Amino acid sequence: MGAQEVSMKYWEDIESGQVFQTGSITIDAADIIEFATEFDPQPYHLDPAVAEESIFGGHCASGWQVCALMMRLLADTLERDHIPSRGSPGVQSLRWLRPVFAGDSLHAGITVTALQQAECASDPGRVQVSIDVLNQKDQSVIVLDTELLIEHRPAGAGK
Amino acid sequence: MSETFFRTRWFEDIPVGEFHVFGNHTFGEKEIIEFGKKYAPQAMHVDVDAAREGPTQGLVASGWHVCAVWMKLMVTYMERYATGVRDGRRNGAGIGFRNMRWIKAVRPGHNVTYTYEIIEKPEKVIRGKWGIIRSRNEGYNQYGELVFSFEIDILAERKPLVAGE
Repeated sequence: MGAQEVSMKYWEDIESGQVFQTGSITIDAADIIEFATEFDPQPYHLDPAVAEESIFGGHCASGWQVCALMMRLLADTLERDHIPSRGSPGVQSLRWLRPVFAGDSLHAGITVTALQQAECASDPGRVQVSIDVLNQKDQSVIVLDTELLIEHRPAGAGK
Repeated sequence: MSETFFRTRWFEDIPVGEFHVFGNHTFGEKEIIEFGKKYAPQAMHVDVDAAREGPTQGLVASGWHVCAVWMKLMVTYMERYATGVRDGRRNGAGIGFRNMRWIKAVRPGHNVTYTYEIIEKPEKVIRGKWGIIRSRNEGYNQYGELVFSFEIDILAERKPLVAGE
């Protein structure tokens, strides 16, 4: 039995109500401009001066960059906790609640809301989660409900 | 016919049922890996060899990458009609989405065509001046298969009431 096997967390090891706290990521103006230049070239993401006058009231990240940063926090957490994931079939709902400004630092709480076993043993199990991404003032910037596909414990794998 | 100002229309002037095929994009291996390394560092997005041996049987683009390209093409498309508009003030800010489904893998070399249809204008006024435009957005690969779909709510400014109206 390898050391890696012992530390793995499978679908069977996850409980409803469990909360995973992610690490944190800080985003600066250069990150915002880099993402926006490639994917969301609108003035309030590209130009700090114009951004002051916009609906957002400051130089802020593309909402899709915030989603991508959430993904990074999630992926790093799954890796940290040795949870083998096969990705996600989608997101039931997501709301952008507050802009993320240059210099903001983000972290997230991932709460397990439901678990569903796969019908076929070789398929991953389903884990419903609510994810709350917060800034350094602990204000929610996005909230979402999504489903993660997590491997079942292989037959014979030690606990 | 008057010129279309896609981004300067008032909420009231945007019709339910409007449909656009607004762009397409071929996903390259390099960009899939680059996006994956930054935002979704999992074997299926960043490691060609490991991905081939894994459940996806090859490299696949992150679902968020497919979304980011949706945004890129949408902005490009809107800008084409946004003569003279510098800040996209009258519409553009997204407040949320529902039913995001990543249905089929997007692999290196796949070309995704993106479509946009306005499906609803919920009767809700936000901060006294914004209405909500709800659209269904879809992506189809080069085989005509639906690969991704979602419904997004975007704010559009309502026509100001003129005194005496």
